[in-house]
Amino acid sequence: MLGKLFVRRRDGRIEVRLNDAGREIIREVFAHVLAAERDPDHEWHLSLNAPINPSSDDDDPLSVLARDKDIASNAELSVMTLREQFLTDAEAWAWLSTIQVALRATAVANGILSDEKLESCPNELLEDIRTMQHFLFDLSTCF
Amino acid sequence: MPAFAPARNAATKSELDRDLETDVSTVTERPWNVIVWNDPVTPMPVVVAVFKRIFGYPNNKCTHLMLTVHHEGRAIVWSGQRERAESYCVKLQVAGLQSTVEQDA
Repeated sequence: MLGKLFVRRRDGRIEVRLNDAGREIIREVFAHVLAAERDPDHEWHLSLNAPINPSSDDDDPLSVLARDKDIASNAELSVMTLREQFLTDAEAWAWLSTIQVALRATAVANGILSDEKLESCPNELLEDIRTMQHFLFDLSTCF
Repeated sequence: MPAFAPARNAATKSELDRDLETDVSTVTERPWNVIVWNDPVTPMPVVVAVFKRIFGYPNNKCTHLMLTVHHEGRAIVWSGQRERAESYCVKLQVAGLQSTVEQDA
């Protein structure tokens, strides 16, 4: 996968230049976020539900509901547009948000909370993280 | 005296009301801060893009806030009413950044 993976066109749409292998990685990422949002036993579930106001006993239920709904909506929109060659601005933002949620959930689930932990994590995990970072880096330049 | 007394009472009540109003406004005006926390995996341009998208801040302010998060471990990215602070916090969490709200000390 050489060159830019995501390019903002003059008409405002974002061109996806991922090959089949790249799209398969992205598909797995989106599917994991959707599953984690729906399954309380999923290893990412806790990291998707971090407290909004840690100093109070309970978060505002409406805020929690809004977050959960929006994370799921972004993941669903991302899955629906997985095969598209051109994304609208909103669709591309849903991709970015969903990949970023997956990246942080991966880090939290594996106890990667410092630079030292990141550098010492297993190669396979590090490769997954670097791949998601690469996607995010390219996609974020479109905004 | 009788004519003066009610006026004094009224003035006193008015002063009390003003004091109460001052106290109430002091409490409600303590802003709620939206905090973004550092993490070791999120690429810096993503943080800048999220700040730009959610708050509409100019590029240099977003970069400054991102660097504050990176170097100090956290940054206050917005302050104000509790409802809006929670709404911004939700948006940041939905975009995958670790964020919380807390009332200004």
